[in-house]
Amino acid sequence: MTTAQEQEILPEQGGWRKLASRSVAASMVMSVAVIVPVVVVLGRILLGENWSFPAVAGVNALAAVVIMAAVAVYDLLRLRTTRWRLTDERLELRSGIAERRHRSVPLDRVRSVDITADPVRRAFGLAVVKVGTGEHTGESKELTLDPLVRPEAEELRRTLLETERPQEGTAAAADAAVARLDWAWIRYAPLSIWTFVGGAIVAGALYKLLDVLGFNLVSDGTLTQAWSWVRAHPWLAALAFVAANVFVGLVGALGLFAETWGRYRLEREPGRLRLHRGLLTTRSLTLEERRLRGVEVAEPLLLRLGGGAKVKAVATGLRKAEDNETEDVAALTPPMPRELAWQVAAAVYGALPGEEHPVLLRHPRAARLRRLRWAVAYVVVLAAAVGVLDAVFTWVPVWAWAAPVVALPVALGLAVDAYRGLGHGLGPRHLLTRSGSALRSTVALDRSGIVGWTVRQSFFQRRAGLLTVSATTAAGKGHYDVLDVAQDEGLRTASVAVPGLLEPFVVRR
Amino acid sequence: MSTLALRPPRHQADPRAVSWWTVQSLLLAVPLAAAAAAAFWFFSDRPLWLGLVVAAFVVICLVLALVAPRAYYRVQRWEVTDDAVYTRQGWVTHTWRVAPMSRIQTVDTARGPVQRLFGLADVTVTTASAAGHIKIEALDHEQAARLAERLTAITQATPGDAT
Repeated sequence: MTTAQEQEILPEQGGWRKLASRSVAASMVMSVAVIVPVVVVLGRILLGENWSFPAVAGVNALAAVVIMAAVAVYDLLRLRTTRWRLTDERLELRSGIAERRHRSVPLDRVRSVDITADPVRRAFGLAVVKVGTGEHTGESKELTLDPLVRPEAEELRRTLLETERPQEGTAAAADAAVARLDWAWIRYAPLSIWTFVGGAIVAGALYKLLDVLGFNLVSDGTLTQAWSWVRAHPWLAALAFVAANVFVGLVGALGLFAETWGRYRLEREPGRLRLHRGLLTTRSLTLEERRLRGVEVAEPLLLRLGGGAKVKAVATGLRKAEDNETEDVAALTPPMPRELAWQVAAAVYGALPGEEHPVLLRHPRAARLRRLRWAVAYVVVLAAAVGVLDAVFTWVPVWAWAAPVVALPVALGLAVDAYRGLGHGLGPRHLLTRSGSALRSTVALDRSGIVGWTVRQSFFQRRAGLLTVSATTAAGKGHYDVLDVAQDEGLRTASVAVPGLLEPFVVRR
Repeated sequence: MSTLALRPPRHQADPRAVSWWTVQSLLLAVPLAAAAAAAFWFFSDRPLWLGLVVAAFVVICLVLALVAPRAYYRVQRWEVTDDAVYTRQGWVTHTWRVAPMSRIQTVDTARGPVQRLFGLADVTVTTASAAGHIKIEALDHEQAARLAERLTAITQATPGDAT
């Protein structure tokens, strides 16, 4: 850091800085989200008690003012008690109204900087900065500055990540976009199981919301009326129900895609990846490349049938997604055409020019037999369950037996598909493995990121001459498996992938 | 058919481990068998067929409690070379684990209360992976301490954060 920058960054005593004071105004606007339901509920109750309209309006106005004032006072107190500073070695945060906390993060531990701005904060030019250290310990892993003014947030991000890598490879095309949103990709958005159950979830949430606001559909008799209509026109009702469900799910999926992936842009800067996305709530996530241990191309069944795929990062120290986040923090792309996904994956893991995709080797047919056996076993268990229910209870209808009959071809189909999906290979720097049917995923794992091997062989695998080799790593889900590979091939692959690790223990029989 | 295989690691657990595991499994099996027998005696009409079933269950429990530790002892093996920690375990499903010295992050020894009576200790080696700890079970506690010291010395000499 230059002294000029330091002057700029240390304007107050000891370098301690405040958060953006505009936050109070933003919080007051956001308090409307609390005020509206309170006013509605209060209004209903008081009108039910036969209060006059002006009195109700007055009470509601008072309630609104009290809530807004309380929020403003709380935010003001929070802002007054929160100070942060950036020194040459560390980023520090002092906060807490009642209980004082002092958090400090060494700069060389900073692994990711995440800048988020919801529509209200954006209107005020504010942004929330989360600084992740990638450590798994402690209840709060990241340091949150809520909020800073936008330019300050950007400045902080740049400073935090640049102390690590001084002007290296500036010649490399700065601001090289790896991928940019193409709105045509929105056609992949509905290809998710949520489209089909989304309508039911929305209906449930709506019912709950109305219930909270004091409209109970059951006691109102609305539902009873609806039910009697359904009884009168069963086929029409079923059709209408399915249509409504799909319509709501479709709208939801499209809306979610637009909100999550609008303005999507993935850039490669020297030493890091930058991901921008979000139509209303904008996010910008910066990921250091040295934390990247590989890349995953995920193809859930429906998306795969539609010819699409998504790319995810296999990186160390990615924080867990929070409840209100709609997308996996590891996601690097929205659902996009498969070929493009592979190109992005290759660009992310830094394929050398002319480097070919390694050819994935198929697994022995014994692996297919195993999957077919599991499918049959699953259907047999299902049939046995139906049989037991049928024998014990009288209410089991004959058509319950359709379940195992329908399940058999589906299970066998998935088994064959799962076998087709199996594959593994070695690239110049990566171990590749692919598996799964409902959730097919192909992972390219950096061989230097492998921190150990676990080899498993069950009784049945032993008889079939198969084994499962899993590479353990610090990144992603912790281990990536090559399932049901031939014994020789599996051990050879593991020996070659990380020279000298498994080799001394492999013997020729 | 196959020509490549993983050789068993060189060392076994301490022989006292068999007694320890036997005590452990008896602590589980005896109450289980007793509960089955008591339930048969007090809560049923004591038909002969049920008596035979319960008797068989009790015998199986006790036999398993006595045989399993011996089988476990035979399959459970470990080895520490200059470059890696290598273990094998499992009877029905064999599991081999290997972690390179350079990627080991922590080395712990642990002794349970019963284990202490037998003078045994476990050594657990963790790497940066959420899925990758390796446990060497039931070593003589002095040997375990020496091993942990050696592993710690080697891993401290390795630069980097082992991810």
